[in-house]
Amino acid sequence: MKMDKKTLLEDGLLEQYLLGQLNANECDQIEKILASDAQLRAQFDQLELDFETIGLENAITPPTVVKTELLDTIKTTEKKVTKVVSLSKERPNKMYLGIAASIAALLMLSSIWMFSQLNKVQEELQIVKSDNTELNSTIENLNVQLEESNVAYNAIANPDTEQYILKGNDLAPDAKVVSYVNHNTKTVIVNSERLPELDAEHDYQMWADVEGEMINMGVISKNKTLMAMTYIDHAESLNITIEPAGGNDHPTVERLVTNVYLR
Amino acid sequence: MQNDNTLIQQLKSKDERALSILYDKYSGAIYGVIIKMIRDEGKAQNILQDTFMTVWDKAENYDANKGRFYTWVYRIAKNKTLNVLRKSDPFIQTDDFSVYTNKKEDISIDSEYLELNGAVKQLEDHHKEAIELVYFKGLTHREAHIEMDVPLGTFKSYVRQALKQVREIYSRTLSLIILILNAL
Repeated sequence: MKMDKKTLLEDGLLEQYLLGQLNANECDQIEKILASDAQLRAQFDQLELDFETIGLENAITPPTVVKTELLDTIKTTEKKVTKVVSLSKERPNKMYLGIAASIAALLMLSSIWMFSQLNKVQEELQIVKSDNTELNSTIENLNVQLEESNVAYNAIANPDTEQYILKGNDLAPDAKVVSYVNHNTKTVIVNSERLPELDAEHDYQMWADVEGEMINMGVISKNKTLMAMTYIDHAESLNITIEPAGGNDHPTVERLVTNVYLR
Repeated sequence: MQNDNTLIQQLKSKDERALSILYDKYSGAIYGVIIKMIRDEGKAQNILQDTFMTVWDKAENYDANKGRFYTWVYRIAKNKTLNVLRKSDPFIQTDDFSVYTNKKEDISIDSEYLELNGAVKQLEDHHKEAIELVYFKGLTHREAHIEMDVPLGTFKSYVRQALKQVREIYSRTLSLIILILNAL
């Protein structure tokens, strides 16, 4: 139904609207027209006022019991409403509970994660520690080596140091041992680089000849090329023999590989 | 009506005192309409109470921009009464309003409740009847013109003329009051 102001007035639609005779769609249309047309709106306001006056003129006072019952009913339903409100109040509680549960779950998850991280870190720390120990021992070794090298170097570079070369005999033709002897500091350093390799059961051992007696100067290490030997006073010559591993009390003269006389 | 607006705001925020005042102000007019429609005091009282319960429960639905508070309550009361009328006799079709005429004898009701007062009383009979049918009996224009046995267009003009005359009566009363007030 198309509505305009003219049909609205001629069809008495304003009255029908007021009396609640129209459907929702028609009501919407009338409400729109009323909202946009101030003159029509004023007419409707007047109509409403007149209808209300007619109503008031024809009023019949209802018995007081109706009002009493009405107010009683409202009070009891209001209590119900309060009950409903108190019930619905539990909802935020549940919501808080939900939030708390979520937070707890998050905390648990994060602690599991952190625990795994802690384990990882501990493992890494262990690795770092062992690495560190290894490095420390390496440094220690290096220090020892450096010290030895320094000692050897100082010994060798000392102007008082004399150099003796022990050349291999028929038992070890390729052998060549360089020894550095300093009578002032009483040190003997040997370079065993050119000694032929021995099996695991034998070692080279160095001896000093003092008035016909062979005195132990020490076993030459298989791992070192440069090492200090025991300085023996009044040595006339230096001798190297092949002895059972770990050295011998007396030299096995048959297995003498080289010797040199000291000046 | 500033006073009403305040009361309605209070009603919307569930103020029992506001409901009590609005009830005192409008229950008579609403009860008058209900009782003229249903012609049964017991039922009319139940419907009146039910109407104001709805007013209380649905107060937030009332939009002052769309019309007066009385109009809103009137519509609620009218719909409730029509529902009771339809339910009370399943054999009577909603468009058969012989219910009013046929059952007149059965109803024990103070006849003065059914009489019209005020400006409407001064109208010519056919104008008075037109207002009575649509306003106090809850008929639609389409139902009422059949009841009065006149064409719909004629009926609509009856209503229009009736309302115009009512308007004149009220304006006269108002100017009379103003005149009296001025004279004082």
